[in-house]
Amino acid sequence: MSSWFYAIGENELIDGGKMPLSLEGNKILLIRQEGVFYAISNKCPHMGCPLSRGILDGHVIKCPCHDWQFDIRDGEFLSAREIKIPVFGTKVSDGRVFVKIYGAVQ
Amino acid sequence: MKKVVMYTLSTCPWCMRAKKFFREHDIPFEYIDYDKADRETQQAIREDCLSHGEQMSFPFVKIGDDVVVGYNLNKYAQLLGL
Amino acid sequence: MRSYWVCDGEKMDTGKRKEQLKVMYQRVVDPLGYKFSPDEEIVDFLLEQEVQLEKEKGNPFCPCQGLTGERDHDMKLVCPCIPFHREHYDAMKRCWCGLFVHKSVDDPYELQQISLKDLEESKNKKKKERP
Ligand code: SF4
Ligand code: FES
Repeated sequence: MSSWFYAIGENELIDGGKMPLSLEGNKILLIRQEGVFYAISNKCPHMGCPLSRGILDGHVIKCPCHDWQFDIRDGEFLSAREIKIPVFGTKVSDGRVFVKIYGAVQ
Repeated sequence: MKKVVMYTLSTCPWCMRAKKFFREHDIPFEYIDYDKADRETQQAIREDCLSHGEQMSFPFVKIGDDVVVGYNLNKYAQLLGL
Repeated sequence: MRSYWVCDGEKMDTGKRKEQLKVMYQRVVDPLGYKFSPDEEIVDFLLEQEVQLEKEKGNPFCPCQGLTGERDHDMKLVCPCIPFHREHYDAMKRCWCGLFVHKSVDDPYELQQISLKDLEESKNKKKKERP
């Protein structure tokens, strides 16, 4: 089961910006890049540091703790593709951004 | 007897085991713990490792003119004619 | 630099931290095809060293490889460093320290450390044999 949850208003995040959110108990990092919204887990799969404090460069985010780099589009760790951060679907409707969360109770 | 010099780390179990091997065979050796050395020595060790086409993986053991990187008792013994 | 988890001035108990590292590392190495070495003594010793290194330097660095103080170099030696030395470790079926081994390995003492140079040489040899 998955459902869409309202995250923020479209204008609340500028292009190239990122915003940590808590949605249904999930720590999520919402990113807007080249006009598209991406939602990934905010927890680095290495030792759990918050990626919201990392550096975004194009579609790659670098963890602030030990510089592991992830593609925000599919969550893949650039140095070992088997390791992924969870990614969530996003959609914009009527100027509102929604994030798709699996296993959430409606 | 060939001269034995090794670069080691104070935190590395294989370095300890390598030292133990040489002690048990009564082979005199010198060693430098890279992590306890001063900057200059560290730089020299790094350059030495790189010049042998290696990274700083320890233990780095020099037996005469040969180099063995890693804990490898067979290679130590072979080079020392044990 | 300090790691994120360390609270100000709070000293975490070494044993507890070892357990935490174990849990975190397990999640990282599993999808890479590795597991903790069956040699519990070595595992315990290495984790102990890493906790000490973390207390001293802010990160659980590799106990068997040399740091230089350059961020680009040293960050690739935060445990588990397998992602940055994949080809080398896959050839040995273990990481350099032997904290982790390939999942198929039952006896870690059958494995040897292979130096980077030896690895390159054996690769070149194979290339020559099969042009
Ligand atoms: S060699 Fe092994 S113990 Fe050392 S940092 Fe890499 S994975 Fe960790
Ligand atoms: S916690 Fe993110 S790279 Fe280590």
